[in-house]
Amino acid sequence: MKILIAISSKEYSKPTLQVGMWAAKAFNASVTIAYVGQKISAFGTSDVGLAQESIAKWGIERPGVQVLEWAFNYLAENKYITPETAKAGFQRNTLVDRGKNRVELHLKGNYCEGVDLILRRGDIIPELRNEVAQNGYDITIIGRSKKRRMAHDLVQYIDSSIYIARDLAPPEGHRLLQAVDDSKGTAKALVYGSQVAKAFKMPVDVLTVSKRESFGKGYMGAHKKALRAFEKVGIKPVSILKVGDPVSEVIKTATAKHLIVMGVSHLNPIVKFFKGSKPLKVINQCNSPVLIVK
Amino acid sequence: MQNTKILNSAIFWLSQKRWLIIATIVGALFYLMPTPEGLTAEGHYILVIVVIAIFLIIFEPIPLPAIAFIVLILEVLFSIASPNEAAKSFFSDAVFFIMGSLMLAVAIISQGLDKRLALGIIRLTGNKTWKIVFGFIGISAILSSFIGEHTVTAMMLPVGLTLLRFTNADPKQLKRLTPLLLFSIAYGSAMGSIGTPSGGGRNVIMLDYWREFGIANITYLKWMSYAYPMLLIEIPLATAILWFTFRPKHKLMDTAIRKLKLEVAKSGKMTGREMSAIFIFILVFLGWVFLSPKIGLGVVALIGVVLYLVFGLIHWDDLNRNTNWGVILLFGAAISMGLQMKDTGAALWIAENAISTLERITPNIDILRWFISVFLTGILTNLLSNAATVAVIGPIVLNMGGDPIIIGFSTAIASAFAYLTVVASPTCMIIHSSGLVKSKDYMRAGWKMFLMSATVLFFISKIW
Repeated sequence: MKILIAISSKEYSKPTLQVGMWAAKAFNASVTIAYVGQKISAFGTSDVGLAQESIAKWGIERPGVQVLEWAFNYLAENKYITPETAKAGFQRNTLVDRGKNRVELHLKGNYCEGVDLILRRGDIIPELRNEVAQNGYDITIIGRSKKRRMAHDLVQYIDSSIYIARDLAPPEGHRLLQAVDDSKGTAKALVYGSQVAKAFKMPVDVLTVSKRESFGKGYMGAHKKALRAFEKVGIKPVSILKVGDPVSEVIKTATAKHLIVMGVSHLNPIVKFFKGSKPLKVINQCNSPVLIVK
Repeated sequence: MQNTKILNSAIFWLSQKRWLIIATIVGALFYLMPTPEGLTAEGHYILVIVVIAIFLIIFEPIPLPAIAFIVLILEVLFSIASPNEAAKSFFSDAVFFIMGSLMLAVAIISQGLDKRLALGIIRLTGNKTWKIVFGFIGISAILSSFIGEHTVTAMMLPVGLTLLRFTNADPKQLKRLTPLLLFSIAYGSAMGSIGTPSGGGRNVIMLDYWREFGIANITYLKWMSYAYPMLLIEIPLATAILWFTFRPKHKLMDTAIRKLKLEVAKSGKMTGREMSAIFIFILVFLGWVFLSPKIGLGVVALIGVVLYLVFGLIHWDDLNRNTNWGVILLFGAAISMGLQMKDTGAALWIAENAISTLERITPNIDILRWFISVFLTGILTNLLSNAATVAVIGPIVLNMGGDPIIIGFSTAIASAFAYLTVVASPTCMIIHSSGLVKSKDYMRAGWKMFLMSATVLFFISKIW
C-alpha cells in the first residue's frame, strides 16, 4: 500500500500526519509526506528562485523545508524511521531535485517500507493530482480545507482514495461508521472499512439509510453483506437502519469519535461538478474524519 | 469506468483552463461585434488581441511564452502585420534591455555581494529599528534605481531575514517587525525603480515609445533629473508610512546587529572576483549614461552580460537556467501590441473616447489626462506586470494630447506603484515567497503607499 500525506504547517497538520503514520504502521505501507508551497506567478519564478538561492547561502531555508524538518522530527520522536536515520538528523543538503517540480528526501522506515519527504510548489490540487498520477498512491490523506470546492476537487480529480483528517484523536477511541447502500462504490469501501477496523480494532456501526419507509432488496442485501464482511475479520458490527435523507442521517449518526467510510459516488462527473454527491456533502457538512474509497 | 476517467480529466482541464476559455469567448464576441465608428478594422482586431492578452496575463492559465506566441499568431492571422513585421515588432532595444537586465541580475546576485551590502547598511544605520527601516528603504531605493528592483530585493532579502532570525528565532514573536523589514525592502526597491531608465524595463519601454512616436530622445541623465527628486522625497515618507502601519515592539535591534556583524565578518576581505563584478557594473552604468543615446540601453546591458561571461564571473548555464525567457518573450509581445495599437490608430481611438467620456465628469482635461495615466496605470500595474502595463497603456496615453513627456513620465512612474498585491511586481513576489508576509499585509500598507506616491507624483508633475 502507498499512502500520500499532504501537510501544510506544523500548527495545522499534526492530526493529518499522525493519522497518516498510524495507517502506514498498521498496513506496513510506504509513505510520502508532501508539502505543497504557494504558487508563484510565472513573472516571478526566476526572481524568486534567485532570492531563495541567496537566502539558502545565509543558512535560511525556504518555508517548506522547515515544515519537512518538523515532519522529520515527528517521525524520529515516534520511531517511524530507523534509529540511524533519526540520529543523522534532518539532512537538508540531501534534498534532491528530481525535476518535474519535485524535491525529495528519502528516509528509511522502521515500521513502514520507507518514508519520502517531498516539496512541491503550485496549486494544491494539480500538484497532488500530478503526484498521485506519477507515483500511484492508494490513499491521499489531507486536512479539511475551508475552501468550498476543495472537497469536490480532491475527490473528483485525485486518482486515489481520499481521507479527510480532522482533530487529533487516537484510533483506539474511535468507532468506524460504514455507510452502506447498493451502489458500486460500497463494495470497495467495505474492503477498506473492514481492513481499517481490523487494524485498529475499532468497533463498527454499519448504517444504511433508505429514503422510503420500506428497505428494498438491494439495500438490505448490501447491508447484510457489510455485516458479514466485518464479522469475517472478527468484529461484531452494530446494525443501524434509518429512514430519511442519507446525507442528513449519516451526519446525525456520526459523532466526533466516528470515522466515516463511504464509497465514491458513481454519478456522472458533470452532475457531480454542478450538484455534488452524497460523499461530498458528508465531507462538507460533517465534523468527523471521512474516508472516501475509490 | 474509462469514460468516467476521460470525462473527469476533461472537466479538470476545463477547470484549470477556464480563463483561457473565457478569454477566447470574450475575444470572439469582441471580434464579431461591428467595428466601432472611427476605428479601422485592424485597430478593432488589435484591441481583440489586447483584451485576450490581458485576461491571459492576469490569470496565467497558460505559460507566458504561449501567451506571447498567441499575440504573434493573431497579429498575422488578423492581417494586422505581415510575419516579418510582427517578428520585427517583437524585438527592440527595450526587449534587449529587459533580457540584459535579467541576465545582469543573475550575474550580480551570484557574486554573493549581499554580505558586503549588509555590512554597508549596518555601518550607516546603527541599531535603532527606525533607522534600519530608513536605511533599508533608502539603500534599496537607490540601488534599484540603477540595477533593477528584483536584483536588489533578492540581495536584500537574506539581510532582512537574517536580522529577523537574530532578533528572535520564532517568527510568531515578530508579527510586526517582519512585515516592516520585508516591506521596507520590497517597497523601497519598487519606489527606486523609477529613478533612472535602467531601474526597470518599463522605463526603457517608455523611452522607446517616445523615440518611435517621434516625441523626444530622452537621455539617461535627463530622466534622472525628472524622476530622482520624487524618489528622494518618497524615502522618508515611505519610512513613516511603514513605521506607523506596523509599529514594532522592538525599537532597538542591537543583539541582531551584533550577530549580523559577526556573520558578515566571516566572509573576509573583498575578493578580486567581487571587485571585478562591481567594476563591470560601473562600466555598464557609465555606458548607460554616456553611450545609450547612440547605441541604446539594451545593447549596453548586453555588453555588460558579455563582459561577465568573458571574464568567467558567470557561466552561461547559470544565466540560461535563471533567466526568465518567458518574461522576455511576453514583454516583446506586449511592446508589439503597443506599436500595432499606435500604427492601426487604436491607441488614438481609445484615448479620444476615454477623454470624451470622462469629460462629462469634469471639464478639466489636464486632470483627466493625469487621472487616466496615473490611476489606470497604477491599478493595472497591480494586476498585470508593470512592464506589460506600460507597453499597453503607453501608446494610449501618449495619444491623449497635452505634454507627452509629462504624461509619459507619469505613466512610467505610476507603473512602479505596485504595492497592493502579491503579484504586482517581482519584489512583492520575492518577499511573499519567504512565507512570512500575508496577502492582506500588502493592502494594509499598500494603499497608503499608493496614495502617497500618487500625491507626490501629482505635485512633482506640476513642477515639471
